[in-house]
Amino acid sequence: MIKFENVSVTYPGGVQALKNINLEINEGDFLIIVGLSGAGKSTLLRATNNLVKPTTGEVYVDSRNVTSASKKELKQIRSDIGMIFQTFNLVNRSTVLKNVLTGRLSQVSSLRSIFGLWPKDQKDLAFESLNQVEILEKAYVRASNLSGGQQQRVGIARALSQKPKVMLADEPVASLDPITSRVVMSYLKKINTELGITTIVNLHFLDLAKEFGDRLIGLRDGELVYDGKVTDVSDKDFENIYGRSIKSSDLIGDDE
Amino acid sequence: MKIPKEPLQNKYFKYGITFLIVISSIWSASGLEITLERILDAPRQIGILVGAMFPLDLSEEALDRIIPKVWESLFIAWAGTVIGAFFSFPISFLAANNTSNSSISRIMKQILNAIRAFPELILAFVFLPITGLGPLTGTLAVGVHSIGTLGKLSSEVIEGIDEGPLEAIKASGGSKINELTFGVIPQVIPTITSYWLYRFEINLRASAVLGVVGAGGVGAELINQLRFRDFPRAGTVLITTIILVLTVDTISAAIRKRIIQGKVKKS
Amino acid sequence: MMNNLPKKPLPSALSVIGIPFSILFSFYSFLQIGFNLEDFKTNLQNRFIVTDPLFNPKWSWAIENASQAMVETIQIAILASIVGCFIALPLSFYASRATNKNTYSYFLYKSFLNLVRTIPDLFWAMLFTVAVGLGPFAGVLALIMFSIAIMGKLLSETIDSIDPGPMEAAKATGGTHNQAIFTSALPQVLPNFTAYFLYIFELCIRASVILGLVGAGGVGRIIETQRIFLRFDRISPIVVLILIVVIGIEQFSVWLRRKIL
Repeated sequence: MIKFENVSVTYPGGVQALKNINLEINEGDFLIIVGLSGAGKSTLLRATNNLVKPTTGEVYVDSRNVTSASKKELKQIRSDIGMIFQTFNLVNRSTVLKNVLTGRLSQVSSLRSIFGLWPKDQKDLAFESLNQVEILEKAYVRASNLSGGQQQRVGIARALSQKPKVMLADEPVASLDPITSRVVMSYLKKINTELGITTIVNLHFLDLAKEFGDRLIGLRDGELVYDGKVTDVSDKDFENIYGRSIKSSDLIGDDE
Repeated sequence: MKIPKEPLQNKYFKYGITFLIVISSIWSASGLEITLERILDAPRQIGILVGAMFPLDLSEEALDRIIPKVWESLFIAWAGTVIGAFFSFPISFLAANNTSNSSISRIMKQILNAIRAFPELILAFVFLPITGLGPLTGTLAVGVHSIGTLGKLSSEVIEGIDEGPLEAIKASGGSKINELTFGVIPQVIPTITSYWLYRFEINLRASAVLGVVGAGGVGAELINQLRFRDFPRAGTVLITTIILVLTVDTISAAIRKRIIQGKVKKS
Repeated sequence: MMNNLPKKPLPSALSVIGIPFSILFSFYSFLQIGFNLEDFKTNLQNRFIVTDPLFNPKWSWAIENASQAMVETIQIAILASIVGCFIALPLSFYASRATNKNTYSYFLYKSFLNLVRTIPDLFWAMLFTVAVGLGPFAGVLALIMFSIAIMGKLLSETIDSIDPGPMEAAKATGGTHNQAIFTSALPQVLPNFTAYFLYIFELCIRASVILGLVGAGGVGRIIETQRIFLRFDRISPIVVLILIVVIGIEQFSVWLRRKIL
């Protein structure tokens, strides 16, 4: 489903975020990526939908070359890839519904989206997605009036409304408390198992990774240093990925 | 699946505002007799004027007339800002409710509001019969108006300071004067100084304009050249004014940035 | 122990050069302007030419003759601020790095806005009266440029500081750059736009009074004619009326701002 071929990313300024990554992800996989801050997790995720363009190498999603896609093709590819963010990236002053509808931007004409004239079927899709994350009743509430966990669920709804084949989650629970984090992770897992959406999640809480992951990938300094089943991973492996011993801040723990 | 209804007041508010804007525009346009015809013809007419300005009149005669006036605008703006800064500084302490008592502060604020309300040009009118034609009138007009605006802005800065350092000074036995000198003034100087510079930028434009009523500056030149249909010369006046204003703006903006950022200097 | 005291930092170049320069330049400026204390004192004797009529306002004359012109002034301000601010809206997005990634076009739009800002409103009025003729149309055009200048600067700076996250999210779903701007950048700056608009509207009312001086419509025309005859007794009521209108609008906009936010 997703293939990384010799992908390297060097940012202007010289920082090399990814070093020659080769990776294959199958359809329906639930993949968790761990690694220190700056290890390249975010970059890897963003190379998947070309928000970050690899300096060398190619990324393929569903057999389509993302890296050298034209503008038009890229829009098509991106519409099949949903993404959620650590800081939710919702438009605070807009309603929940409006935010979810931005997931449908690629499917309506520019004019309609600009004036907010969404056809009924698009709105219905948005409502459906909100229903799947169980916050339909908040549709007309301003996004900034929701709690962190609710906002992330809106982010998931936005991604779901795209009817995506792939779901990318960049540290989706980093700003949430343990209980809410588990709720969000459960939604992601549920979507993966029920709808078969290939999911990649960046996490820095190791216990959460073990709790929810199937396959685990470890990045250190831009290199792939671990690739295996979550059930096979040991604390020593984690230490290797992090390049140091595990601290309590690496675990989300339970709610007191 | 229970789909919630959209709250009505959002929709009404949006439509209401749009309606208000459209209606008031149409009312204004028709009241001013601005027809579609005139609007469509305007670009052509503007083009004719611009075309008539080139080639610019860069003769020695023209520049001899114009350049001194441009400098004059600069002097008026600078001197006016100096007057404004000089007088507004003490006044702002009287007007701020944390450095003076509440009744004085209220009175001073009203006085400042009253001064501020009059555009420089109107002030120039009032001063003209008294101080006559020439740059002095312009300077006074700009200066008095600046006292008003700078006074208000400075007093707001003073009101917004951190009281902590003042408390510390009081606690160590300092007098009110000490509080002012070591607590208030260091906190407000950077922002107030940057307001002075910003005022200078604005005053430059005002002083250019005051020439229209004979209060000095390059405005008189422009209006005369336009009246006499000497468009190349008018163009020269415009270009020289633009160059002056751009230069002052750039330098002033850079200095202001430096002043504000200077607080967070690299150690 | 006292030998290890840290060195006192040198005062910044700005203050070393700037402050003496400013003081010298100030003296020079006053010299150039020709400030003469004696003359000034003599001139002050003349103040009664102004102050006597000034404090003797002729209200009935003002209301009779200036009302139509006052309405005209307000209409000029309404039209110019609405048209100017709405033109400035897209321009501001082009003039901000956050929403315009094309360096050339960004530079173009930013320079355009800077250029428009350098020309004082009265100059615009003079130019437009020559181009399209005397009257309020020229005034409207002049104030449109004035509004574009101010809104352009304020709004583009606001856009520079928005949160880029929502725009990234919109693009990640496959949206175009423009769709991202409309759905995710514009809503962020809308409250600022409204506040700036009200501010500019107020400025336009004051400015349109002045524009009449050069024949660009509005009550300034009347003020100018009366000024030449030193009829300050007719000017002062007009000015007071204008002030009342301006203050009224100021109060209205404060109320409106509170309601919106």
